[in-house]
Amino acid sequence: MQHLDPDRLVVLALSEEPGPSESDHLDDCPGCRGDLATLRDVADLGAEGQDLRGLPTPPEHVWQAIEAEIAPDVARAAAPAGVTELAGHRARPRRPRPRWLTPLLAAAAAAVVAVAGTVAVDRIAGRAPVEQVEARATLTPLATVPADASGSVRVLSGGRMQIDVRNLPLTTGFHEVWLIDPDDLSKMVALGNLADQPDVLLPVPPGTDLNRYRLVDVSDEPHDGDATHSGRSLLRGTLTS
Amino acid sequence: MNSDDELAERLRDGDDKALRMVYDRHGAAVLYLAQRLLGNRADAEDVTQVTFVAAWTGRDSYDPQRGTMLGWLLGIARRKAVDRMRTAARDERVAETVRAQLAPPDERETPERVVDRLVVADEMDRLPEEQRRTLELAFFDDLTHPQIAAVTGLPLGTVKSHIRRGMANLRRRWEVDGATFGSRSAGRTRAL
Repeated sequence: MQHLDPDRLVVLALSEEPGPSESDHLDDCPGCRGDLATLRDVADLGAEGQDLRGLPTPPEHVWQAIEAEIAPDVARAAAPAGVTELAGHRARPRRPRPRWLTPLLAAAAAAVVAVAGTVAVDRIAGRAPVEQVEARATLTPLATVPADASGSVRVLSGGRMQIDVRNLPLTTGFHEVWLIDPDDLSKMVALGNLADQPDVLLPVPPGTDLNRYRLVDVSDEPHDGDATHSGRSLLRGTLTS
Repeated sequence: MNSDDELAERLRDGDDKALRMVYDRHGAAVLYLAQRLLGNRADAEDVTQVTFVAAWTGRDSYDPQRGTMLGWLLGIARRKAVDRMRTAARDERVAETVRAQLAPPDERETPERVVDRLVVADEMDRLPEEQRRTLELAFFDDLTHPQIAAVTGLPLGTVKSHIRRGMANLRRRWEVDGATFGSRSAGRTRAL
């Protein structure tokens, strides 16, 4: 069987109709028929491309939003001794805590959380709903976390932080919220945990410098009684005012 | 001009300037795809943003051996846009019947078709100048080979070979990066 010449197939795909003997061959030959169909598709797609010349570039604010979202990760990549090393930081030998102290510390921490919680509730209950947002952040998942995980943070006047998270991976422990100093990633403030709720209001300790501790981090913490960061960050974002 | 290989390597090293270069080169195509799929500018810009953030986060998963940067980005953008459409559909179930009547589904453009068109257009831009020019005359102006020879002053044999090679290049690229052929390209970045 004499197949159609490749040049001829291109011509047929672009401009001409097949002659009678070519039509007969195309009817009989799936190979040439398939080639011609593909070339016609390519020619159609190519012709549609006329509208795609000189597409407008996205406005600059789109890039600014991208830049803001990746900033924490960029900082981390640029500072290899940093938070990537949270796990390493944790593994560093720490002064052993006397065993008897641990329950006391836990109790003290619980008391602090309870007081803080009460204060937060009082503040919310006692105030008219004047929601002045002092800073905000969009939280994005780290590379190991499913991409649909997300969150947003608003620091409200009066030292409260509203955090709203979505699609966090399940945990056998709990999700803890931190404020980290991106310039020295071993420095951080624990704000509290998310208690399985999508929308939580946490008190920010008075006097916390949000210009310094501007990296918001949500981590997965095991119930191991260790109050330091587990090294397993899920979401991050940088506060901007 | 930096190749996809170089950009991929710089991205993997955490170089955000490389992301900006990728954005300058392909941001318009991503925005166009999103806008075609979502039909509104604000959502399209959101999806563009989400796409590049996801590309940054998942930069280790891009393998230049398996497709171009643009094909990879459009794959991400397509999934992000479809996610967005699903969310919108959930939010607006009430309006669904009305909308279906306004725009019959078969008249809507498929995401795959838009991706294919962008990929082929990008390959056109990469062709050697004479190849691209002869193909443009064939595609956009519907000229025959002899007419193209007359317009360009090139010998007919040269026109034929430019067009044959150009078509072969477009076809190859479409088969590697296109969405219609793209179970391969769709599979590799599903995690994003």
